[in-house]
Amino acid sequence: MQDYSCDDQIAKFPVAMAYVPWQKFDRMYDDLEKAYCYGTVFPELNKPFTGRRCV
Amino acid sequence: MWSYDKRLQFPVNIKEPNAKLAQVIISQYGGPDGEMGASMRYLSQRYAMPYREVAGVLTDIGTEELAHLEMVATIVHQLTRNLSMEEIEKSGFANYYVDHTVGIWPQAAGGVPFNACEFQSKGDIITDLMEDMAAEQKARTTYDNILRLVDDPDVCEPIKFLRMREVVHFQRFGEALRITTDKLNSKNFYAFNPGFDCDECSGKN
Amino acid sequence: MMGNKEQLLRDIGIVDFVVTELTLYLDTHPHDRNAMEYFNHYNRMKNQMEREFSQKYYPLSTRLEDCGNEWRWGAAPLPWEGACE
Repeated sequence: MQDYSCDDQIAKFPVAMAYVPWQKFDRMYDDLEKAYCYGTVFPELNKPFTGRRCV
Repeated sequence: MWSYDKRLQFPVNIKEPNAKLAQVIISQYGGPDGEMGASMRYLSQRYAMPYREVAGVLTDIGTEELAHLEMVATIVHQLTRNLSMEEIEKSGFANYYVDHTVGIWPQAAGGVPFNACEFQSKGDIITDLMEDMAAEQKARTTYDNILRLVDDPDVCEPIKFLRMREVVHFQRFGEALRITTDKLNSKNFYAFNPGFDCDECSGKN
Repeated sequence: MMGNKEQLLRDIGIVDFVVTELTLYLDTHPHDRNAMEYFNHYNRMKNQMEREFSQKYYPLSTRLEDCGNEWRWGAAPLPWEGACE
């Protein structure tokens, strides 16, 4: 089993709470037509579903 | 208050009716993890929010969910328009048809009517934001499940758009939770309810 | 092939979507100047395109209705009609 006691970033956060990392605005997609079809203008949030049998 | 724009957030132009698919997709209109529950959840939770910026996130995402509700209704409407009686009988759509013809009514895929018990407004900012993050994930899973059943690109494109919005909203609710915990005592986030307990009884340490 | 009307409506959808995304981002990042600049740029563009659409075709909202001698709002196409007839 992996040793989680090592000093990683998240270990500094208080326990018994959930944390989502802050998004830092860097850039939007250059092709906004494509961004519209993806459903987000932020490349770092583009997390499409690939589990279907016919992609 | 609200104002209305006479256009969809993302275009829906379905050419081929498909009553079977309509019966599945209607779950995102009035089902347990659908857009009706989403909008009512976020818009209802706002009043117990002690922080304006978090109430603002709920307003804006709740408003976007209303636009998604209209998109889902449009998908169901376009999948069921111009159906022949034969198609209605063959596709299993007759059970819906007998009560609603091809009108849009909020129900789950299994026929269970929309019910406010499908969402919570707990009056506690941490609890409500956790519920919201879970709700976005449940809706995302439902869209994943729908995508496996769809091969018509006219249906696939708007469903993919709606699914990605769940991921973006999850991120925003996560950030709203960070805004909240930053304002609370990190030694005990659960010492009091900042939207309910007054300053004097909250100990302030 | 999309006509000018359909193309402009789609472009409004794209620009409005950018504004929606930036709004949600700014809700949780109210001090991000870079995002604010983008927001102002696309919000202005959106308002201008909606006014243009309303003048040429039909009002997308009552805010954009400017009554001459007919009430165009009621006759405007409904969003769920779709492109196919």
